[in-house]
Amino acid sequence: METLSYLAPLAQLDVLWTIALGTLGGLIIGALPGLTATMGVALLIPMTFGMAPVMGLNMLIGIYIGGIYGGCVSSILLRTPGTPASAATVLDGYPMAQKGHAGKALGMATIASTIGGLIAAVVLATLAPQLAGIALEFGAPEYFALALFGLTIIASLSGDILKGAISGLLGILISCVGADPISGISRFTFGIQGFASGFAFTPALIGLFALSEVFTQIERLASKEPPVTLVKNRWPSWADMKESRSALIRGSFIGTLIGIIPGTGSGTASWIAYNEARRSSKTPEKFGTGHMPGIAATESANNAVCAAALIPLLALGVPGDVVTAVLMGGLMIQGLAPGPMLFQTNPDVVVGIFGGTFIATIFMFIFGMALIPVFSKILMVPRRMLTISIVLFCFIGSFSINLNPVDLYTMVGFGVLGWGMQKFGFSQAALCIALILGPMLEANLRRGLLQAGDNLTEFLSGPITLLFLALTVLSLGWPMVAKALARKSNARPEITE
Amino acid sequence: MSTAQHSKADIWIGAGLLGFCAFATWRTLQIKQVVSSTIAGPSFVPWLMIGAVSILSLVLIVRGLRSSGLPGSLSTENLPDRGGLLKLAAFAVLLVAYAAAFYPVGYIPSTLVASFAGLWLIGERKILVLLGFPVIMTTAVYYGFTELLAVWLP
Repeated sequence: METLSYLAPLAQLDVLWTIALGTLGGLIIGALPGLTATMGVALLIPMTFGMAPVMGLNMLIGIYIGGIYGGCVSSILLRTPGTPASAATVLDGYPMAQKGHAGKALGMATIASTIGGLIAAVVLATLAPQLAGIALEFGAPEYFALALFGLTIIASLSGDILKGAISGLLGILISCVGADPISGISRFTFGIQGFASGFAFTPALIGLFALSEVFTQIERLASKEPPVTLVKNRWPSWADMKESRSALIRGSFIGTLIGIIPGTGSGTASWIAYNEARRSSKTPEKFGTGHMPGIAATESANNAVCAAALIPLLALGVPGDVVTAVLMGGLMIQGLAPGPMLFQTNPDVVVGIFGGTFIATIFMFIFGMALIPVFSKILMVPRRMLTISIVLFCFIGSFSINLNPVDLYTMVGFGVLGWGMQKFGFSQAALCIALILGPMLEANLRRGLLQAGDNLTEFLSGPITLLFLALTVLSLGWPMVAKALARKSNARPEITE
Repeated sequence: MSTAQHSKADIWIGAGLLGFCAFATWRTLQIKQVVSSTIAGPSFVPWLMIGAVSILSLVLIVRGLRSSGLPGSLSTENLPDRGGLLKLAAFAVLLVAYAAAFYPVGYIPSTLVASFAGLWLIGERKILVLLGFPVIMTTAVYYGFTELLAVWLP
């Protein structure tokens, strides 16, 4: 009964309208090459400042869900992934568009994204409260080990583990700017009052993900590839659905599982789902030539991550992927701290988010199917005007949170840093996650050491702590093991020959 | 687009990171210490991070040096050419100037000038767009934020 009363705000017209607007906005942002869901959420967080928590947060979730889905549009029509999550969709989506089946490819992507999103939303609503219940028992050592695990997994998922680790460590060092969380002593502020409580989180994220993209867009302004404009027959046939059924279901569960692991993301999930669909297919040779199950696998997986990545964020206070890391800024603006206590203090917000995730997924389906015929027009937005508009939103967004002009410099600084990192293969996602997990890691490490009298063995002896530490070692060691295995399997045919 | 050899870039970045660590070391030494029963004081985590980044930077340099003579080191970074870099640098300067003017000068005049200059810098030459877009965008955003979202702008 209580849960139903928490869902009541979602039936209000203004809340529904806001979620719809967020989903549509996310879809358009995701569809435009180079503009990511992360950027969309970072850019529009300040707009939720004056909204009620359920309304504001669900608008951001709508942008997230719409943005991840929207990435498939330019993947299919332009052969340029709108978001990294849709990179694998290019493999079968663009060949289908070239054969004149762009509408069907987009239709399958929409259906797969919806099914993946709905399955993960059910898992979110079921699993998150259970996990939060367990996390209530966590103390400083467990949180320290959890933060460490989150950091190492993002480092190990970065293309270059060394650069990923450097990005993460730098992020922790940057997060030390401002007052020390235990003693309140000022660190690295250079006497600037605006840095007394550290770099403002949301302007830093806006710079890192939105402004850095502006620099990249300026570089790309010269290159233009015309989109496929012939888009018709949006509904896949019954035979197409039957053929893609297992790839779709498997992709949804792979996406959900990957999303739950802190620090992973849609990009990883869609590649794993694609490879798994090809591996288990009776006709693997068709993959990459315009094959429906290829699209079904990647799109169901990347949208399943959206809801699943909210599980560690809400239940543990650790973001599931980089977009939920940014989404954390939205929670903070509302004065909410994600983590198990949120389920105790603000159950209305938690249940509202569960419901909002379902609603946003349904809106995504409606807008997706309805807009398929006009998607190619969205890709023709004048890029120069779009670039300047993004700059404008970056500035207003960064300023309006604290009305502090210093935040504008923070945003520009992080923008330039983000562009440089992107250019030289350093992970912006690792830096972002470290900015969030750094304070959690530091506070719990120091608090735990204080409680254990500086005895590291005692500090790290709990079973859950040991489990997270084992997972940390595994996540760091796995890329090396995988590389060695790949080398071994590559060497094998040469030996037999 | 020009390209920079991957391994050489790594060596330079590693050296830059070591320089940054030296700077961070100097700043960490300035952090006030408190009397405490634990080794984990306010500069504990910064020291750990500086140590770890220094070690990994050395690894990056060594990796770059080792691979610079190998055939695999031919992988490159795509960097803009000199003109492109100048354009990006000018755009960054414009953003800093916009940040400096935003609060004291006010949103509307600073945004009008910055939008015009920004459009011109990224190659827009149509006079109608150069003049019309900043005016429409600036006023629409001002109205949207101040009237609809109740966000104060200077």
